[in-house]
Amino acid sequence: MKVTSRLGSSISARANILGKLKQQVKGADYNKLPIEQAYDYPENCFSTQLNQFVELLESNHAQVIKLSKKDIAEVVLRELTARNLDSLLHGAGGQYSEYIDSLASTINLTPYDFMIEDNKSGLFNDYPASITGSHCAIAQTGSIVLWPNVQEPRTLSLVPPVHFVIVDSHELYQDFATLISAQKWQDKLPTNVVLISGPSKTADIQQTLAYGAHGPKELIVLLLQKDADL
Amino acid sequence: MIHDNKTPDRNEESKYVHSAKAFRTNVARDLNNSELRDNFRGAMDYLVDKRKSAFLESEELESLRLQCQLIKQRCLVKLPHLLEQLEENLQANGIHVHWAETINDANEIIAQLIKKQGGISVVKGKSMVSEETALNDYLAAQDIECLESDMGEYIVQLAKEHPSHIIMPAIHQNKKQVAKLFADNIDGFSYSTDVDTLIQQGRTVLRDKFCHADVGISGVNFAVAETGTLCLVENEGNGRMCTTVPDLHIAITGIEKVVEHLADVPPLLSLLTRSATGQAISTYFNMISHPRQQGEKDGPKQVHLVLLDNGRSQAFADEELRQTLQCIRCGACMNHCPVYTRIGGHAYGTVYPGPIGKMISPHMLGLESTKDLPTASSLCGACGEVCPVKIPIPKILLRLRKESVKAKNSSKVMKGEGASRTTLEAFIWRCWAMIHQMPHLYKAMMWMMTRGRKLIPSKLGPWTKVRTAPKPAKQTLHEILASKGKV
Repeated sequence: MKVTSRLGSSISARANILGKLKQQVKGADYNKLPIEQAYDYPENCFSTQLNQFVELLESNHAQVIKLSKKDIAEVVLRELTARNLDSLLHGAGGQYSEYIDSLASTINLTPYDFMIEDNKSGLFNDYPASITGSHCAIAQTGSIVLWPNVQEPRTLSLVPPVHFVIVDSHELYQDFATLISAQKWQDKLPTNVVLISGPSKTADIQQTLAYGAHGPKELIVLLLQKDADL
Repeated sequence: MIHDNKTPDRNEESKYVHSAKAFRTNVARDLNNSELRDNFRGAMDYLVDKRKSAFLESEELESLRLQCQLIKQRCLVKLPHLLEQLEENLQANGIHVHWAETINDANEIIAQLIKKQGGISVVKGKSMVSEETALNDYLAAQDIECLESDMGEYIVQLAKEHPSHIIMPAIHQNKKQVAKLFADNIDGFSYSTDVDTLIQQGRTVLRDKFCHADVGISGVNFAVAETGTLCLVENEGNGRMCTTVPDLHIAITGIEKVVEHLADVPPLLSLLTRSATGQAISTYFNMISHPRQQGEKDGPKQVHLVLLDNGRSQAFADEELRQTLQCIRCGACMNHCPVYTRIGGHAYGTVYPGPIGKMISPHMLGLESTKDLPTASSLCGACGEVCPVKIPIPKILLRLRKESVKAKNSSKVMKGEGASRTTLEAFIWRCWAMIHQMPHLYKAMMWMMTRGRKLIPSKLGPWTKVRTAPKPAKQTLHEILASKGKV
């Protein structure tokens, strides 16, 4: 689909800006550009990467819980109860639905099955916690990569004040550059990708760190490990 | 031509022209404000330490700096081509692209987009380019409320000020000042100086705004040409709110923010967050490549990008000054600047303060109003040493000083060049050059200076305000050495 600007001044501005720039670099030989060398980070083993990932997340105020898939419901219930919460928003048919659905018998488990414009006020006011899966994770920066989709929309990991995120420890990449090239992100990106490295925070008042600026106040990472690793 | 209040003149100049002209007055005012100086000193020490702790291996830092310098230089050499590629890929992804040469063109494009949507309530994530265009004022004149949602920007907007730092906008205020501001402006706020309480108060007000806003406006940290992706770096989540919750998202950025490949992003991102706040990465790194697609339940139905020139193509036209456009807006240069630390961000009178502001503002506002800025540097070189993309800031400041005093008939480089040139000064330097080219004249002048040393007045204008007047020696160096038989 091609969309063009309908504003006339924008069209002449485009021609003027590009014209001025092109005049300056006319005939530039791209083959003569200097060679760019990326820093060669030493490759860490899996357990070092996993430790680094957990340490960074914890130092950024996230709570990390190691568990196996079958324990997801139990751990989520325990954490919700500890916070006096009894409801959870989740992505219907999402990545780990089969492990979450059993919570419906004990808490108010609501699927995100509405269009945002039909329930904005509910989304902002009625759901104290949410749970999502994740695409993968990055050790070097302690980041969790989310590719929101039809089942797990963008606001599911953003608006509720407590965010549970399930991360498969075997989907861990050493760094962001490695991840982009291994998964060939340049070929196709979804509507939105977001890297999350802790709960929402700010140091805008007198350099004092405060959590829960606008997004989740708490990030609870459910780090899936194979039973043998636990 | 008569304008009604609601139709701003397209060619109206930036409001910052006037405040930048008042630089010297602003400096005198802010140097005498001890609370302000304490706030900046504390904040700069904090940020310098944070950066230091983020780069433990100098080999890694230097390797990344070199790599990122070359990435940005490559992207600048290819800039017109990359802008076309970016536009093509964004459009293929369903994102609309608009081009603006001036700040008023950009504001008008945004105002029209909002009006077309029937929007009256706008939330804005942190965007220095929208500060550059003074977008809030423009929209307010057309009865459109544009609320800042970054905590620092929100504080600054309540105080009717503009950011004093590009990363931490309210760095000039301490918690007591913020508490007073909230107490004066937010209904039902009971006075507290506890930072958590203050932030939670801001959160409550702003979440209600996110929930009801028609339009979200954001900046862009990197625009990836290869994939048609807009990348945003932030910690608070307000950027994600602005770009996800409202039906319409408008992003605005300078033309220099485009990068060629997605693979260019990781090293730049790493240097940006570590140089800015010492974080390995920001809490959120948000990559937007499409408006809401079929079946998706949230996200804006329309996404627009406004690409702004505003003097950048002028900097681009000169190879030395073009390096200014390598900037990734981390703020490290201001954090390490002894001048910025003492005078603070508002004294500059420009949107971008500190060393980066001294380099870029003359292109945006013209040297007529910014001629004093490049002189506000001791050329200590700290800014150049910490710059993550290795911009030779002191060299560029010297170049701008030269541009500001050059003769009117020399080659045209920038708006307002020659603005500091005075006939008297030019005449003095011509005489100085002549004297140094003619040995007899030089000797005669030196003889007169040494013998007439007592005639030099003790008051020499601004020089002797804080110094004693210089006193030439009794004899010239040549004479002394000759008397010792060494010449």
